Amino acid sequence: MSVSPGGVRRALPASVRAQEEDTVTDASNREAIADMANPLGMEGIEFIEYATARPQALGQLLETLGFRPIARHRSREVLLYRQGGINVIVNAHAVGPGQGQGEAAQGNPVIAAVALRVRDAAAAYGRALERGAWAVPIRVEVMELNIPAVHGPGGSRIYFVDRHREFSIYDVDFVPIPGVDPHPPALAGLHFFGIVQYIGNGRTEDWTDFYGELFGFGPLPADAAFGILPKGRILRSPCPEAAAFYLQLIEPEPGILEMEDTECFQRVAFGTADVLATVAELRTRGVSFVESGRIQSDDKGALTQTRLGGVSFELVHHTRGCTR
Amino acid sequence: MNPLQGNVDDFGMDTISLAGPLEAKLKAIRAAGFSQIMLSARDIVGHPDGLDAAVQAVRASGLRVTGFQVLRDFEGLSGHLHDYKVDIAKSMLEMCAALGSKILLVCSSTSVHASQDLDAIARDLRKLAMLAIPLGIKVAYEGLSWGRTINEFTTAWEVVSRADVPNLGIGLDSFHMFATQTPLDDLELLDPEKIFLVQLADFMWQEIRSVEERITTARHFRVFPGEGVHSDALADLVRRLHALGYRGDYSFEVFNDDYQQIPLPVVAQRARRSALWLGEDVLRRSVPLPNQMRLRTRAAA
Repeated sequence: MSVSPGGVRRALPASVRAQEEDTVTDASNREAIADMANPLGMEGIEFIEYATARPQALGQLLETLGFRPIARHRSREVLLYRQGGINVIVNAHAVGPGQGQGEAAQGNPVIAAVALRVRDAAAAYGRALERGAWAVPIRVEVMELNIPAVHGPGGSRIYFVDRHREFSIYDVDFVPIPGVDPHPPALAGLHFFGIVQYIGNGRTEDWTDFYGELFGFGPLPADAAFGILPKGRILRSPCPEAAAFYLQLIEPEPGILEMEDTECFQRVAFGTADVLATVAELRTRGVSFVESGRIQSDDKGALTQTRLGGVSFELVHHTRGCTR
Repeated sequence: MNPLQGNVDDFGMDTISLAGPLEAKLKAIRAAGFSQIMLSARDIVGHPDGLDAAVQAVRASGLRVTGFQVLRDFEGLSGHLHDYKVDIAKSMLEMCAALGSKILLVCSSTSVHASQDLDAIARDLRKLAMLAIPLGIKVAYEGLSWGRTINEFTTAWEVVSRADVPNLGIGLDSFHMFATQTPLDDLELLDPEKIFLVQLADFMWQEIRSVEERITTARHFRVFPGEGVHSDALADLVRRLHALGYRGDYSFEVFNDDYQQIPLPVVAQRARRSALWLGEDVLRRSVPLPNQMRLRTRAAA
């Protein structure tokens, strides 16, 4: 038996297909409303998690950037750092000898997880699995929250968190550090701007589809650029404007040997209204910036020097109201 | 001719053509001058020292893994059957990644339990491709000539196009293409970037009369390209694919009971003769420069 091959077509680039589909009119879509769908009700990043065997060194680095340690995990060697609306978790529990790969195996910090704020974590998790995400087995201790997660790039996880309004996940799993302000203000108005992800050669389309299908991210036009390191492809989260953030996908330079195909979340970028003033303030706190060749701090952005075997942060000119 | 002369780098052997343990297969294929090998899950899970030892043997062989086969009867199922097959697919993907294989071969379903709705098939293939993305694997979907719904490369291409995900493409198998006598002019419909694997095999009869005979021939009586009666058609196929812009791998998908009972080096030499014929006489490949490194190619804009 054979099915007629009628309608066979060449695969077209996504952008061309999108244009084609935009021009299709049918009775149910008279107005062609172009608002980006937000299928998970995503509202920004709840936290970034680093895994490291050197939690104190990373903590010191975070403190130079304006973060404050505010709470400890009830059962694990995990610390919560915060400034303004940015939560960073430093997890020394996840990485043991012989665990992890590359930098993590050396004990150096790696970005192990990103937690997305969503409308309904269970629904978001179920939807992602339905579409081909890998579930991460959760190991929770007594009275701890079961936060659903799927696999991201490398060995990373992407969590879904929906308890960020009425009470927070940290109220359950963490114990506040006594005498510490649980809501330290952000230094120079820093806020989450985005995450840079290193990807393998020829993998831009794969990851664009991955984030689009599972989370509702959409690519920006090729000429869109933020900061001082414009490269690769930028995906915008489907969040409302006040909570939007970006993923930047960067392939290796052509001519690199084939085996260097590591994929990982590489660095976090923070937005600030005045990059140079922020750079000046952070310098007084001991943060060093890359000032060489084509990478120079300017009013568009800046890049901190790499510490602890691979940790750097990017500053990007970006304004928005506090999201919390 | 020195056994390592001649450009056979585009061609690889498949472990299913050889008898014996994995290490013996790797050694024979390497010794015949091949640089790549198509692996079956059976080679890996059947290794007496387990999965890790099998992976280690493959990595130590220096052979590049063309692809990993084969996930069967995946698409079109629903409910618990679908969930079961997703679990199987995840195991296959994990083995594929452990072996350093960039391609998972998936054959079109023969199951009477599977939906024949092309959109349902496309949706399942899209999900499979999503599962493969974090592992860096491409899914090559092949229309088995006795597949229930998808049995020609044209319909395989139709569902791949409907699924519309970058790491899902098609796998071509000359045996199935010739068995169904799908016009090779239809290759023009394909985007060469979405042909992820081409498997070549010849066979000894001019015509296959029934589906049963087709299955028997496919599983027991295939021969290397140039050894059967379809050499001209194979040469034509390879030239057409080249003209279309295909620059990927060709693997010899030769299931043959006789080859299972003659020494491995003898079979590997037959494969090599086939590769030299295709590489030098048909495609007229130039011999690579010595000490050439494989560098990344700049991704298409």
